[in-house]
Amino acid sequence: MIEINEAAWQVMLDHARDTYPNECCGMLTGTGTQVTAAIPCKNIYQGDQSDRFEIDPHDILRVQRESIQQGQELIGFFHSHPDEDAYFSATDLKNASPWHAHVVLSIRQREFRNAKAFRVDLDLTESTEEELLWPKS
Amino acid sequence: MAKILIPTPLRQFTDGNDAVEVSGTSIGEILNSLTTSVHPSLRNNLFTPEGKLRSFVNIYVNDEDIRYLEKDATEVKSSDTISIVPSIAGGR
Repeated sequence: MIEINEAAWQVMLDHARDTYPNECCGMLTGTGTQVTAAIPCKNIYQGDQSDRFEIDPHDILRVQRESIQQGQELIGFFHSHPDEDAYFSATDLKNASPWHAHVVLSIRQREFRNAKAFRVDLDLTESTEEELLWPKS
Repeated sequence: MAKILIPTPLRQFTDGNDAVEVSGTSIGEILNSLTTSVHPSLRNNLFTPEGKLRSFVNIYVNDEDIRYLEKDATEVKSSDTISIVPSIAGGR
C-alpha cells in the first residue's frame, strides 16, 4: 500500500497538468508506505513526449543521496498518461524498477481522472497493482 | 575500501545498512565481492542468472555512470563512493 499526502499529491497533479499534453515524471519520497514529498523531474526522452518519458538518472542519484542525508526514502516514481487511462503499459514494464512503486496518473484535457500504483517483478515481465491512497480518494 | 550506498529497498539484504564498504580496485571486482561474499542475497537483485547487470541497474562511481567510463574495468579508489541507481522510463 502507498499513501500520498496532500502536499505531495498537489505537486504531482500540478506537474501532470503543466506538462500536458506530454507525459510528466517524478519521484516520491517519504518513509515506509507514506509519501510526503513529490519531486517533479524533467522528461528527458528524446522524441515525442506525449507518450513517452525518461527520468535523468543523475536526478535519481541526487535524490537518493539527499534522502539518505534527510532520513527519508525514495519510495517510488510517478508519471502521467495524457488522455489515457492509468494502466501500466508494456513500455512502462520494460523500463521500471522492481525495487520501487510506480504511480500512473490519468490526465484528460488537463483534468485528473484516476491514479493507480504498480509493482513489477525482477525480470520486468509482470506488473501487479498495489493499493494506492491519495487525498479525497 | 570503497563505500557503496545501498538504496532503501535493498537494505533488507545488507542487514539494514545504508552503506557497505568493500575492498577492490575495479568496479567489477567490488560488485562481485559485494554480491558473492559480503552480501550474496543482493546478487539476484543486481545481476541476471547469466551474470550480467540487470537492465534497470545503473552503477555510478561518484558522479559518473560506469557505462561512460570503463564499465566493469572502471578503476575505484578507496575514497570513491559507489551508487546503485535504477533506470526509469516508460510510456503508453
